[in-house]
Amino acid sequence: MAADDRGPATGQTGQRAHRVQPDRGERIANLVNEARQGSEEALGQIVTELTPMLWQVARATGLSSGDAEDVIQTVWMSLIAHLDDIHTSAALTGWLVITARREAWRVRAAGRKHLPADTQAFDALPGREPGSEEQVIIDDQRRTLWRAISQLSGRCRELLRIIAFAPRPDYAAVAAELGMPIGSIGPTRGRCLAKLRGLLASTLESDDVVG
Amino acid sequence: MSSDEGGRPSPDEPLDDTDLRLLDGIRELFGAADPMPSDLPERIRFRLALRDLEVEVARLAAEELAGIRGAEQSRTITFDSDSLTIMIRIDENPDGTARVDGWLAPPQRREIEMKTAAESLSVGSDEQGRFAFARVPRGMAQLVVRLAEQGPDGAGRSVVTPALIL
Repeated sequence: MAADDRGPATGQTGQRAHRVQPDRGERIANLVNEARQGSEEALGQIVTELTPMLWQVARATGLSSGDAEDVIQTVWMSLIAHLDDIHTSAALTGWLVITARREAWRVRAAGRKHLPADTQAFDALPGREPGSEEQVIIDDQRRTLWRAISQLSGRCRELLRIIAFAPRPDYAAVAAELGMPIGSIGPTRGRCLAKLRGLLASTLESDDVVG
Repeated sequence: MSSDEGGRPSPDEPLDDTDLRLLDGIRELFGAADPMPSDLPERIRFRLALRDLEVEVARLAAEELAGIRGAEQSRTITFDSDSLTIMIRIDENPDGTARVDGWLAPPQRREIEMKTAAESLSVGSDEQGRFAFARVPRGMAQLVVRLAEQGPDGAGRSVVTPALIL
């Protein structure tokens, strides 16, 4: 049992992930240790933590919902056999991402029907109830961000989509697994985020001109 | 986005607050554009918890809304596996819990376990293959059907259903 046991009490892990980001990597590493020692509860909590990220990994390849679910289940099943080799949150996250991606592309190649990779999410900006003035401003920001994301290369879009759901400290590990390494000492911004910020900055400039 | 960012941000700088905010925004957008089915982690946990059993996994063969009895509706679900067909009818108790009546075909005595998020309930089927759970909490559930008498070496194949919502 890890000495620094900060995992939430058994049962609910309901907190929103971004609020616990600074501790998230450490907490997941503790869960991995406990899972390796046979704790079903720890394993279950890891599944709850990281399945949302795997959903994005699988769907970014263009799989249908049903196929994505099958892929994700396969990945978790095969993790059991690999738990002994995985000791850190970054190693776990990296392994999950690359395994899910490989499995997703394998399923795609097996010729089941699918959508073109990555495009289906861009049909429309996800809707929201219209609301207050403040909400209008937020919606405006979301629309601007959405447009900038859609102008990125497919590879950058996939990377950012996945790391947005990964534990923050594992950003570099995920980028490296996807073949886009960023910084050897601590995560740097990387090309894709820099590009996104460039796009947003030029949007702002042109908006200023218009008025 | 603050306006004092003048020059192009460099890929080689460390992540800053703006980057982190952008990642939050991206997560929110993709979470809304392509939401994960909210019960997916729970279904995977169910499946993982069963991995050590030597099991036959039954498939959902049919599901229908049966007749209306009083105000409430009952559902009938059929699962098929190689060796067994499991049929259950789900009715609502006045207290909001579910009543589950089931039949095994071919008829046989088996030990039937109902796994729910909160607890595991066990009953036996009779010689006609009938069994009943009088009160089951609503929510995700799963049936495991085991041989009532284990083979000489403890063997005996269990049959599990996919998770279902009561």
